[in-house]
Amino acid sequence: MADLEGKKILVIQTHGVDTPTRTYSPIYYAVAAAAMEMEVMIWFTMNGTNQLKKGEAEKVSLVPESGVTLRSMLDMALDNEVQLRVCQQSLTLWNMVPDDLIDGVQILGATSIIDLALSYDHVMYF
Amino acid sequence: MAHDKINECVILKNLYYSVPDNTWVRVNDDGTVTIGMTDVAQSLAGPILHAKAKGVGVAREKGKPIATVESGKWVGPVKSPVTGEIVEVNEEVAKDARMLNKSPYNKGWILKMKPTNLQTDLADLLTGDAAVEAYRAKITQDGVTCTHIEGSDEY
Repeated sequence: MADLEGKKILVIQTHGVDTPTRTYSPIYYAVAAAAMEMEVMIWFTMNGTNQLKKGEAEKVSLVPESGVTLRSMLDMALDNEVQLRVCQQSLTLWNMVPDDLIDGVQILGATSIIDLALSYDHVMYF
Repeated sequence: MAHDKINECVILKNLYYSVPDNTWVRVNDDGTVTIGMTDVAQSLAGPILHAKAKGVGVAREKGKPIATVESGKWVGPVKSPVTGEIVEVNEEVAKDARMLNKSPYNKGWILKMKPTNLQTDLADLLTGDAAVEAYRAKITQDGVTCTHIEGSDEY
């Protein structure tokens, strides 16, 4: 396996709790990249924002008997030091305020995403 | 082989364990160590689909990833319990990652390293009854019950 330590990947997630089958994979890829020693950020915007509202991700389970929920996926990302960021402007879309967010998520403005997209080695859009 | 079972999780007493990282170390006669993931780790991961180890010749510090393991519901690093250089990778696991589930302590070893500070590193790991008791506490606290797919080693 090539040594990819230090490479930076930005994952942009625009899908949320209304489309469960589009929520797991971006997080899975992000955690895989973190396990390969890359610096990884998931940027949640548009519909992706709503999964970060306290109590929402727990309701999304693709395979109920697995015990895995969207919340446990997000926790796995945090445990592996994947940075979770949310678009400030998209909070308004879902009538959310900063206190609605699960712990571990930071809010950034739209200009930050442009800076980040230019500074990362690769950007994955979902 | 002396072992203990806690909630069906097998702990071999002759191995050294990093309990937080769920890895084990076997000290070999030739000065190398064999490294693998524990029965607890394979149970938590579920049926493993892929395992990729770093290559022979790669130097790793203790705590840094030496492999990545993927199941349907989990992906994560295997963190090195020692500092050293990778000298051999288990190609059987690369071909059939389920070996990690079936035989975590034997055929499912992940790689061998030539350690640089073995005695120092071993002092930070747990073995024998101390390892069993640490796992008993962890398994109880986390509510883990180990599962074994068909063809697993029996104890």
